[in-house]
Amino acid sequence: MAKSRSTPFHVPNKKIRPAGWQVFLVGFFLFYMLVPIISTYVFSVATRWDRTILPEGYTLEFYQRAFDASYFTITLRNSLILSLATVLVSLLVIVPTVYWVHTRLAGAKPLLDILMILPFGIPTVVLALALVQVYNFSPLARSPFLLIGAVVIYSMPFMYRPVANAIQAIDAHVMTEAGQSLGANVFQVLSKIIIPNILPGILSGSLLVFATVFAEYTLTSLIVGARFKTFPLLLVEFTRINGNVASAFSVISFTIAWLVSILILWVGSKGQVAKTKAIRTG
Amino acid sequence: MSYLELKNINKSYAGVAAVHDFNLDIEKGSLVSFLGPSGCGKTTTLRMIAGFEQLDSGTIRLDGSDIVPVPPNRRDIGMVFQAYALFPNLTVRENIAFGLQMKKTPKKETEKRVNEVLDMVRLQDTAKRFPHQLSGGQQQRIALARALAVQPRVLLLDEPLSALDAEVRVVLRGEIRRIQSELAITTVYVTHDQEEALSISDKVVVMNKGLIEQIGTPEEIYRAPMSRFVATFIGTANQFLGKTSGKNKVLCNNVELLTGDLNGFEEGQAVVVLVRPENVQVQSDKPQQKNWNIVPGGIETITFHGAVTRLGVNVNGQRVVADITVANTQPVSLNQKIWLMFPPDACQVMAAEE
Amino acid sequence: MKSSLQRKTGHTVDWLGFAPFLLFCLAFEIVPIIFLLRGSFIEKTTHQFTIQHYLDLQRPLYINSFINSIKLSGLTAIIGMIIGTFIGYAIYHWPSERVREALITLSDVTTNFAGAPLAFAFVVILGMNGVITQFMLQYFNYDLYPKFSIYSFSGLILAYVYFQLPLMVLLILPAFAGIKKEWQESAQSLGADTLQFWWRIGIPVLIPSLIAGLTLLFANAFGAYATAYTLVQAKLSLVTLQIGYMIAGEVRQDQAVGMAMAIGSLFIMGLSIGIYQAATLRTRRWSKS
Ligand SMILES: Nc1ncnc2c1ncn2[C@@H]1O[C@H](COP(=O)(O)OP(=O)(O)OP(=O)(O)O)[C@@H](O)[C@H]1O
Ligand SMILES: [Mg+2]
Repeated sequence: MAKSRSTPFHVPNKKIRPAGWQVFLVGFFLFYMLVPIISTYVFSVATRWDRTILPEGYTLEFYQRAFDASYFTITLRNSLILSLATVLVSLLVIVPTVYWVHTRLAGAKPLLDILMILPFGIPTVVLALALVQVYNFSPLARSPFLLIGAVVIYSMPFMYRPVANAIQAIDAHVMTEAGQSLGANVFQVLSKIIIPNILPGILSGSLLVFATVFAEYTLTSLIVGARFKTFPLLLVEFTRINGNVASAFSVISFTIAWLVSILILWVGSKGQVAKTKAIRTG
Repeated sequence: MSYLELKNINKSYAGVAAVHDFNLDIEKGSLVSFLGPSGCGKTTTLRMIAGFEQLDSGTIRLDGSDIVPVPPNRRDIGMVFQAYALFPNLTVRENIAFGLQMKKTPKKETEKRVNEVLDMVRLQDTAKRFPHQLSGGQQQRIALARALAVQPRVLLLDEPLSALDAEVRVVLRGEIRRIQSELAITTVYVTHDQEEALSISDKVVVMNKGLIEQIGTPEEIYRAPMSRFVATFIGTANQFLGKTSGKNKVLCNNVELLTGDLNGFEEGQAVVVLVRPENVQVQSDKPQQKNWNIVPGGIETITFHGAVTRLGVNVNGQRVVADITVANTQPVSLNQKIWLMFPPDACQVMAAEE
Repeated sequence: MKSSLQRKTGHTVDWLGFAPFLLFCLAFEIVPIIFLLRGSFIEKTTHQFTIQHYLDLQRPLYINSFINSIKLSGLTAIIGMIIGTFIGYAIYHWPSERVREALITLSDVTTNFAGAPLAFAFVVILGMNGVITQFMLQYFNYDLYPKFSIYSFSGLILAYVYFQLPLMVLLILPAFAGIKKEWQESAQSLGADTLQFWWRIGIPVLIPSLIAGLTLLFANAFGAYATAYTLVQAKLSLVTLQIGYMIAGEVRQDQAVGMAMAIGSLFIMGLSIGIYQAATLRTRRWSKS
């Protein structure tokens, strides 16, 4: 006869701990990654911090001076314009193309892939030089429009990856055919089925492009320079003028990067929720 | 003393027992299967034998010596995984030679041994290929050959066939059994496929929720299940709940069943009577056999299973399943009134728990 | 409905849908690069074909720029690859999923922290009066300067490794996922110890990812500009800095030499990809993809 089955035998719960070498390596990694950032944060509120281990006092004066800097609002505005314009152009040029290639033109996929990794192989200074050389006539020469073209190319892979993943994940080709077989036209398929489903991918891509362009220095300084000064240019300028104010600018720039990362994570988790929901109901 | 002895083994994860008080003796050269539903602890037990999981308590003795303190790479125990686990960067020949090289076997001998096991699994012509150039069935044969090349003391297989097609599965399990008995290698075989376990094992260990339900030969497990779990997990069994009455009667649901001797039970004890479908015969006229269980019913379902046809029969509100072979029964039809009959010795009685 | 073959090759009409994107890439990337290539072979006044601009690259300043750039990129790529792989392995096997995810997010953010903010952060900790410099001086009575300087080659290495490490971590994590637990266990049950497993199976399987990582890290460092521009300026010549000076017109050099340098750096990029292809040729025999 079977034994009685009073299963749960509770044994003291041994929690799995990371091994010593893991703690060492990850600790080193954290130290390397965080110390420069934390130091910058502290430096931006320190009165004087060049003779002692810890700052001699704390102040918000440098933020005051940062906000008061004559170019502060203009550069911030320029950076926003550049980032948003780039995101917009990116969305218009890349998203329809990726959709088109995945649903109608699978033959162009290798070409698309190559074009999308090409920017990684071209140093930004080389791109800047090439563009400045070719477009040496007005109104394009050294203009913000040329710059937007350049940063769209430069940030293209950041838009492409999340959007392509999203389109692949929903099997856009099958969805399109399913929608059409139910009587929807192309516009309805796009607005009612495809776009809502790949929205998390589009958002992630847009945020990544935004963050990348907001911190972009090389193309901006080499193509337009002082004529269209952005926030990173102001930051570099201040590293020569006043370190404390420069650190306040750095903090602002770090903080924007963190915020965007958190937003991307949040959008990503939303996408996950949407996906599991779709599976459960469908 | 048995070749491989597992004594009082306990293992739990985060406070929940995966294997509890596991005791098993395995004879040298025999093939023992672990059979049970998903999550019952088969893999965990196997991995403790291999040395990949630590025991919370208990001992494992192989050939008389305790192997618990021995690391996996010194245990001399071969293992075959469900997902083949061939090394992708090595050819078939290099995969098989791997264990021999670890033992610093001379080159000549390694070569000879590799050819031997390749012959054994009948895949001589694949020696130069890489794993991804083989079919699933071929990969699993090579994995088997790789484990056997080093002549391990024990061979462990964890659901080796469950990633394969039904047809390949049947062929390959025969191969495994053939090779196992040729080499007389002590083998533990994990599966959740009862047919597989019954057809190739010397002994079957039926497990449920970390406990051993029953250990026995395939026949014992099938014909004399010792618990309701075993009876229903292995094959199909009709279950009649009732109370004992007299020396050989069980009263259930308005049906009176004649059973074997009810020595071990008290009068009026709640029991369950189990009857295998193939032991239930079907007649269109009332049978006259003396001392058989004979009950009337109506056919509700007819399902064709190939060799047998399975009838679902309503007997006084209870569904009874009977398997009939076309050869020895007249044609039947839905809603037909028929008689079911089965002898008392086809009834297995056990105490109803819970 | 279209047949799958049609979907693969596409009609001419379908290619029209690809045209806007293609035109954009042509306009802002491909055609300018082609003009750059052409310009690097044209004598400015006579418009004749010449290789003089490439011969000009032999001048010590330019030669040194290439040597410095290759040394800096190569060194930080190797350091990043080796240490990043170990850190990636530690993260991959970290028991807590939340910690793992947090570390991956951190890598994601820090690998993009290149440029001026990063350079400045390193000045804050390792500049003449930096926190760590001070700490070493006061507690160990050891002055990092003048042996070390954040404004020099050694300083640049530290700053570059900052974004190389997390990039390698991100690149290598998927590769660890490709090493099946069963392979390790099979190897063990066949008598191999940990070292033997890594030597015969683990590292060979990782090799393509390691070399891919090395290539990407090299390209990443070679093309970096803002970090170096903020930190070293004229104290150290690098290819990207030289090209930058020529665009900005800060030096009275012939722009055509800049073009030759640019093409030279594209050549080096291409070469590193070629080396990657050659180095993974063998592994392609057994890897499915
Ligand atoms: N590494 C682990 N951590 C936590 N729990 C585990 C671990 N491995 C197994 N378990 C738990 O232990 C129990 C037994 O698992 P085991 O893998 O031995 O089952 P099994 O019989 O092999 O099942 P299957 O047929 O699905 O392979 C399960 O409840 C499982 O969830
Ligand atoms: Mg299992």
